[in-house]
Amino acid sequence: MIEIRELTKAYGPHKAIDRLNFSVARGEVVGFLGPNGAGKTTTMKIITGFMAPTSGEVKVAGFDVFEEPIEVKRRIGYLPETPPVYGDMTVQEYLRFVANLKGADKTKMNQLVDRAIEKTNLGDVRKRLIQNLSKGFRQRVGISGALVADPEILILDEPTVGLDPRQVAEIRALIKELAGQHTIILSTHILPEVQASCQRIIIINRGQIVAEDSLDGLSKRMTGSGTVAVRVRRPTPQLSDALKSLNGVRKANAEGNRIQLETDGNEETAERIAAHIVQQGAGLLEMKSQATDLEGIFLQLTSSEETQGAKEGATV
Amino acid sequence: MRGILAIAGKDLRSLFFSPLFWVIGGLCTLVWSILYVIRLQQFAVSSYQMQMQMAMQGQSEGGANIHFDVFAAHISLVNFIMILAVAALTMRSFAEEKKQRTFDLLLTSPVNATQIVIGKFLGSLGVAWALVAISFLHPLATSTIASIDWGPLLASYIGLLLLVASYVALGMFSSSLTESAVLAVVMSLIFSVGIWFVGAGSEILDSPTWVAIFEHLSVGTHFVSFIKGSISTAGIVFFLSVIFLYCFLTQRVVESNRWR
Repeated sequence: MIEIRELTKAYGPHKAIDRLNFSVARGEVVGFLGPNGAGKTTTMKIITGFMAPTSGEVKVAGFDVFEEPIEVKRRIGYLPETPPVYGDMTVQEYLRFVANLKGADKTKMNQLVDRAIEKTNLGDVRKRLIQNLSKGFRQRVGISGALVADPEILILDEPTVGLDPRQVAEIRALIKELAGQHTIILSTHILPEVQASCQRIIIINRGQIVAEDSLDGLSKRMTGSGTVAVRVRRPTPQLSDALKSLNGVRKANAEGNRIQLETDGNEETAERIAAHIVQQGAGLLEMKSQATDLEGIFLQLTSSEETQGAKEGATV
Repeated sequence: MRGILAIAGKDLRSLFFSPLFWVIGGLCTLVWSILYVIRLQQFAVSSYQMQMQMAMQGQSEGGANIHFDVFAAHISLVNFIMILAVAALTMRSFAEEKKQRTFDLLLTSPVNATQIVIGKFLGSLGVAWALVAISFLHPLATSTIASIDWGPLLASYIGLLLLVASYVALGMFSSSLTESAVLAVVMSLIFSVGIWFVGAGSEILDSPTWVAIFEHLSVGTHFVSFIKGSISTAGIVFFLSVIFLYCFLTQRVVESNRWR
């Protein structure tokens, strides 16, 4: 459905995205993951025909975005970072306008608007002016606008930003529901979001794809590693050194009375750690063992010398 | 075509429902009405005096001309106010869309830059012409109490509509250049007033060729010929060219957004 080859966008010497290659099949839900400023939005803007790339090729449903932009735009529903809503319109008027602009079937206009309102739960506010709605509602109006003309492809740039937890859950459910009928590209820096709704994940960092796999694939990649976090009453430098030398422990990081251990993920290792701390009489208060989750993968893939920046980008 | 109409309709609607339009419309009506009545009264007095004078000299032909004394003055006032009004009405046309990020919606919809510009132009043109239509009520009301010559009046109004359409194109172009409505208004005023001064070139140059060129480029020359009652092809072509030029430039600016 979407094919991207050698896509590059440069602002002077700075490359926002650098030779991206990927494709998305019909009906697939792809999560586009990366820290802020990784090039997610730029890539999406290029796919929608909003922006021209410096070089490379984008094909949507067989149409080149630059040769036949109108055909491409007809097939895409796009939600930008800021929902493009007009404050002086009511929700219903706005959706009607968008449907009209997108060239939706005139005879089905009312049906399409009703469907979009229903799917995004905007029934209560359909006759209210958008400028009087809260940020969460505006975001939903934006999503509704992307949906209204029933496009084959949905491109959603951080669709759950500004929503409260309940609305976030609703939107995720909506994305899952839409998954069968539409091809969806979803960008986010919120990890549970992709875990909840995407079949495939593309992790992008500094304009380059660092990983592209299914959720299972990424998890498998990370088997054979895990972390154990412990909290002790009487931490000593010797303790963390001793823990590091235990069989199966790869790395130990002590911070105050907390020690973060990277292990091979085996239960025996965790047992050994616990036993060691107890033997030393350090006063084990808390111990948490976890297999590396998406967050771990993400941090590992996107962190380099700028670990701090990546951590900020991965706020959950 | 549908895209053009959707955009034009949206702009027209949002302008008609904005307080801005009603404030401008109210002020325009107030100023035009007060000054029109004063002028009409002065005309009534002076034409009465003139008639008395002519009667005493035994003449029966000629007399005061309501078209030049009242209507032409009214139209030039309308023109002046419209420079300000159109600048204010068109300031948000593109600037606001960019600022509110709704421009993203237009640029990712299946409409091209030309359609966006035509739609926006028609939307603003609708409200601007509505104001011109209000100003036509004054001569129209006068026609119920006096016999007037419709020919030159209608010719003047055709000229006025074209001139106002040029201001709309200029205002829209200014708005497309910036995200700030204030800056758009200032630029629009400078452009609209500026085109009146292009003709001044004919007064400072000696070469007859250049004088002729600048006279052709002068808004004043063409507009005055409409007021005098002559609908000339040159005049129509001139105003349409100005409109086309600025719509074209706006289209270029809109298109350039893609390449940034």
